[in-house]
Amino acid sequence: MASFLLIRLLRWTVGLFLILFVTYGMMFYGAGDPIRMMFIQGEDFDSEDEAVMLALRKKYGLDEPFIVQFGNYLNNLARGDWGRSIRLQVDRPVLEIVQFRLPISMQLGFAATAIGAVLGIGLGIIAALYHNRWLDRLIISTVLFINGIPVFVVLPMMLLLLVLQLKLIDVPYGWSGLFHIDAFLPVAAISIGILPIIVRQTRSAMLEVRSQLYVRTARAKGMPESRIILRHMLRPVLTPVVTTLGLVMISLINGSLFVEYILNTPGFGLLTIEGIKKVDYPIIMAVAVVGTLIIFVSNFLVDILYPILDPRVRAQ
Amino acid sequence: MKKPAALPMRSRVVDDKSLALGRQRSLWQDAARRFRQNWLAVGGLIVVIVFLVLAIVGPHIAPYDFLEQNIVKAFQGPSAEHFLGTDDLGRDVFSRMLHGARTAALVAFFTTFISLVIGILVGAWSGIHGGRIDELLMWFSDLIQAMPGLLLVILINTTLRRPVINAFDQMYMQTRNPFFLNTLWLDYVLVFSALALIAWPGLARLIRGQVMSINEEDFVLAARALGASEWHIMLRHVVPNAMGPLIVAVTASMGGAVTLEAGLSFLGIGIQPPNASWGSMLEEGRRLWQVFPHLMLIPAATIGIIQVAFVFLGDGLNDALDPRRNS
Repeated sequence: MASFLLIRLLRWTVGLFLILFVTYGMMFYGAGDPIRMMFIQGEDFDSEDEAVMLALRKKYGLDEPFIVQFGNYLNNLARGDWGRSIRLQVDRPVLEIVQFRLPISMQLGFAATAIGAVLGIGLGIIAALYHNRWLDRLIISTVLFINGIPVFVVLPMMLLLLVLQLKLIDVPYGWSGLFHIDAFLPVAAISIGILPIIVRQTRSAMLEVRSQLYVRTARAKGMPESRIILRHMLRPVLTPVVTTLGLVMISLINGSLFVEYILNTPGFGLLTIEGIKKVDYPIIMAVAVVGTLIIFVSNFLVDILYPILDPRVRAQ
Repeated sequence: MKKPAALPMRSRVVDDKSLALGRQRSLWQDAARRFRQNWLAVGGLIVVIVFLVLAIVGPHIAPYDFLEQNIVKAFQGPSAEHFLGTDDLGRDVFSRMLHGARTAALVAFFTTFISLVIGILVGAWSGIHGGRIDELLMWFSDLIQAMPGLLLVILINTTLRRPVINAFDQMYMQTRNPFFLNTLWLDYVLVFSALALIAWPGLARLIRGQVMSINEEDFVLAARALGASEWHIMLRHVVPNAMGPLIVAVTASMGGAVTLEAGLSFLGIGIQPPNASWGSMLEEGRRLWQVFPHLMLIPAATIGIIQVAFVFLGDGLNDALDPRRNS
């Protein structure tokens, strides 16, 4: 078991390193020189002055060859220095920006996951209990339908319906905390993305558990159905649902990119897009580090949690 | 090849009339029958076919040029003259939607084609030979599939843009072929390559799995025992048996490519204006959505409908092409 986890850890660490290397390489060779772009687009300076550009490059360490730059970056990262933003918020430490932006997206993500999990597990169990009857078919087709619609269509549709037609809420803008009414739309839009993943997994796990012998035994003993579901079926059903965490995380990242872009929420998703559009190396690298770490940690968490939740896996 | 020595004696059971009653159906006919019973999937298929047909003939039947501007007529609602109204520059929305269909279909087709070619080559190779390459492929596809695809595509697309522009410029300097000055194609090429780069590991993995599991089947063992060549086994046994899952995967890949392209263009990274893409039209419509909601509603609804159609189609195909389910 320990060696299995160790191998996984090693694989993911190599993966993280590889992704950072490739990202930095792509930025260095492909994305262009952020300093020159400052001048071309005439945002911060008036003329294209080679001396100033050289000085700026030196300041951000962009005058070094690729390997040296990448080495420096890793070295600084290991010491907790994420670099300074070049163009997005000039000279502000990236770590500070991340510390401000990430919690917003995480709050949205946790709220969406909570709603998606509760709704999804409930709907999945109901669908399995009514297997092959109209309620099951309705839930399954609805989930399939929702699964097809990308979040950048869901949210505009919700805006049109709830804001423009029904006038229930105002256009959300910015960030005023998770319990403000403005957080409703982003949370709803993101949780719609993860609902299908959870409903499907719950339903298929439930269908499998339903035909187990111990469930039949419990029923034969005369145990009430609700108790059978809660005492005997819930745990073996929830265990496989945990394995969808990786998929849920992808959906969350995807959702926060679009939702924050549409509603101008100052979260991590918006930071990603802004950073990429402005070719701000340190920001893009920070996004790559944090994004990979999120995926890495959630996959690793599944590897650890699964044997704890499922004694059968532990026994193997 | 020598003739088989003798045909086995006909069993009496097969001669029994009661078993021969049903007309014989091939596996594919069976699948088609199962597919037709699923009306959601049939609906999806119809929408997808309409989408593909419009993508091919659309720009020829479009009432206006998709780039033709007429500021005087900007922001009109749907009317007889402009079927779906006009946008902020007075361009006909219907004509632009038709052009967007072509963009989406081109991206879906090329992305799937490129990733399928790479996927088949790599997947078949590692499925047959196994070993180090196989392990590497598995690790790599694990990594790619665990990462959020959109993020990777954004990164790849952003970083490929400048090198590709430079390459196009150089090609133009060498050949003087005006094709290389065409930035419309450049956007397409970038989006295909970025999407294909993240899509192929999934397909390769699927093909590898199919090749491996079919190679272990008893009928392949029997064919091998009879002295069939590897090519014969590949073409007669592996390919037809792997076809079902592959069709499902290709449908999913096309649908996924349409979404990703729309998403990229929506973020202003994929297909750039003035080229028409549903994603960039949605983004343009978003700017004044409270005043002119139709500019946001039309592309959003179209993307939604096409996506749902692809999902229903893929789901129906999956059910229809998996005979083990119904046996």
